[in-house]
Amino acid sequence: MEKEGLGLEITELRLGLPGRDVAEKMMKKRAFTEMIMTSSGSSSDQCESGVVSSGGDVEKVNDSPAAKSQVVGWPPVCSYRRKNSCKDASTTKVGLGYVKVSMDGVPYLRKMDLGSSQGYDDLAFALDKLFGIRGIGVAFKDGDNCEYVTIYEDKDGDWMLAGDVPWGMFIESCKRLRIMKRSDATGFGLQPRGVDE
Amino acid sequence: MNYFPDEVVEHVFDFVTSHKDRNAISLVCKSWYKIERYSRQKVFIGNCYATNPERLLRRFPCLKSLTLKGKPHFADFNLVPHEWGGFVLPWIEALARSRVGLEELRLKRMVVTDESLELLSRSFVNFKSLVLVSCEGFTTDGLASIAANCRHLRDLDLQENEIDDHRGQWLSCFPDTCTTLVTLNFACLEGETNLVALERLVARSPNLKSLKLNRAVPLDALARLMSCAPQMVDLGVGSYENDPDSESYLKLQAAIKKCTLLRSLSGFLEAAPHCLSAFHPICHNLTSLNLSYAAEIHGSHLIKLIQHCKKLQRLWILDSIGDKGLEVVASTCKELQELRVFPSDLLGGGNTAVTEEGLVAISAGCPKLHSILYFCQQMTNAALVTVAKNCPNFIRFRLCILEPNKPDHVTSQPLDEGFGAIVKACKSLRRLSLSGLLTDQVFLYIGMYANQLEMLSIAFAGDTDKGMLYVLNGCKKMKKLEIRDSPFGDTALLADVSKYETMRSLWMSSCEVTLSGCKGLAEKAPWLNVEIINETDNNRMEENGHEGRQKVDKLYLYRTVVGTRMDAPPFVWIL
Repeated sequence: MEKEGLGLEITELRLGLPGRDVAEKMMKKRAFTEMIMTSSGSSSDQCESGVVSSGGDVEKVNDSPAAKSQVVGWPPVCSYRRKNSCKDASTTKVGLGYVKVSMDGVPYLRKMDLGSSQGYDDLAFALDKLFGIRGIGVAFKDGDNCEYVTIYEDKDGDWMLAGDVPWGMFIESCKRLRIMKRSDATGFGLQPRGVDE
Repeated sequence: MNYFPDEVVEHVFDFVTSHKDRNAISLVCKSWYKIERYSRQKVFIGNCYATNPERLLRRFPCLKSLTLKGKPHFADFNLVPHEWGGFVLPWIEALARSRVGLEELRLKRMVVTDESLELLSRSFVNFKSLVLVSCEGFTTDGLASIAANCRHLRDLDLQENEIDDHRGQWLSCFPDTCTTLVTLNFACLEGETNLVALERLVARSPNLKSLKLNRAVPLDALARLMSCAPQMVDLGVGSYENDPDSESYLKLQAAIKKCTLLRSLSGFLEAAPHCLSAFHPICHNLTSLNLSYAAEIHGSHLIKLIQHCKKLQRLWILDSIGDKGLEVVASTCKELQELRVFPSDLLGGGNTAVTEEGLVAISAGCPKLHSILYFCQQMTNAALVTVAKNCPNFIRFRLCILEPNKPDHVTSQPLDEGFGAIVKACKSLRRLSLSGLLTDQVFLYIGMYANQLEMLSIAFAGDTDKGMLYVLNGCKKMKKLEIRDSPFGDTALLADVSKYETMRSLWMSSCEVTLSGCKGLAEKAPWLNVEIINETDNNRMEENGHEGRQKVDKLYLYRTVVGTRMDAPPFVWIL
């Protein structure tokens, strides 16, 4: 569904519980800026949130698969705090090799040395070992067979799907890694390689 | 009636320091007004556009300290475009021209340029104290002017500003003769820091009580700094990663033990949690702990640290502490007065977030709690009722349930009754922020019970204009009302225009107010600035016709004695 010339592909979703008039009113007024995904939770209780932006102002929000549903200015955390909690210290030199790795469902992060891996296969193995779970790294080889998707934050602060670029380019730009459940990334066209969107 | 000479009255007034009280004094009679205005040294202006520098100087020619606030609060959340306004330069220029003996300048949400800082540094011989909170527009070059030119600088306190770091040598611009520093806070600077210049500066500042470092100050530098500043009261640690066996860590441990006056700890912007134990020896003295930027400190290391902090009055933390962690806080920190729990993961799953259980535990364990900011995943009416019963002394109660419109997760009811219990029990409540699923009912309660309420933040709440009307009619002391994404429209906006004279400001964004409603308001109240902020072309708004029935995206109105401001950018339309 399109909205007034923004030219972005969007999915209409509602705020709040089904039947809430307010949410519907809000949907009618605003333009949507990006795709969102349902929060991980019970499938029967789909907590959907709408994405809103005011007027023509398109908030520069992460429009990658990693971005959770985001309403402009919500949650009300001041922008300074947002910048400093989301990023992994711009002073962290990528060349050093150690990057933070987070995994959905695990309350603590790990750090690993990218420099010690020779390629995506190595990385896959190392990630599996780090979290004691098999199958994290399978995603690099076989697009849609595994339970997890590995994404990384690049130098520009964008979240990218790991495995697209050559290894050398990857380790140069990777600032941190995140392993998320494939089910959280539904609807983002994560097709097996070679299939067009 | 005045039996005393003016000097005596003035001397009595010297004991009255709060702005509210001094404002009240000045209203008693002409004579008191005159005496008060000549003796007023500290002036607070909550909205820089409510007046202008000329009027300020006419009334308070002897002022020494000025506090100014610029952008509306929701600017913090990117709801106000950057160029909206709040420029400090005209103020500094006017103050400089008037030769007033300015000693202290405190700014919040204002646009500060290097030019303003340079002018400030050169114009006031006795300038002592600069506090900038959530400001933007300047670089480290501006800081260099302050460092170089303010001979008697006591405080340079930069809190959460957006500063363009030119990685210059601003720290080395403090002359060797500068020994008067008491506060130095540059935690928000992103770039490298000249460690040698910093260490020399700290070493020659015997009065330095508050030092907050940025990321670029590593642990070994911290060790050296603390060794030469055992008088430290308030410390913000920068980078805290190191091998715990190294020499600098041992040196740090020794230095920390000597800092017996340390009462406040913050920072840990990058941290190796197992090194926290170095701070355990002084934790029993701490009254303030801010770990809200310390994403890497959680779990057992965090708990161990907190267990040592029995005298804590203020705690700012991330929600990674979890409900269990909050239970530890509740059983350890019996002196706790202020708690802020921030969301740690703004992008992802939030699995370790806190729930209503943590809040209830805190309310039960900390009887002195009066201020809370709590970001959580879920809430229930029952929990809020319990919290209200446990803590009837709340002054500030700000609850943010991360998902908009979320109801009581047990009963699926709106949270009206829960917040209603809070406002009913907390008779001193001055500030309230609402969230979750809320109907007009909650506003009925607020209007009925929240007699002392001065600031109210509303988002995704209410059903009809009645909601807003309950608040406007009921809360006699309301000063700042900010509303977003709620179905309040022209009827509520226009019901009582005179109400806005008693308020500092009203913000409404993504509500139901229309252009004609706003125009009507502006006509009835020429003493208000009614601003429409539209990132899209304002002209198009006019041309589109619909006779003003189209909705206004962002409305910001405030009382003013100086009329329309001249510095508004094109996308701000002042009616």
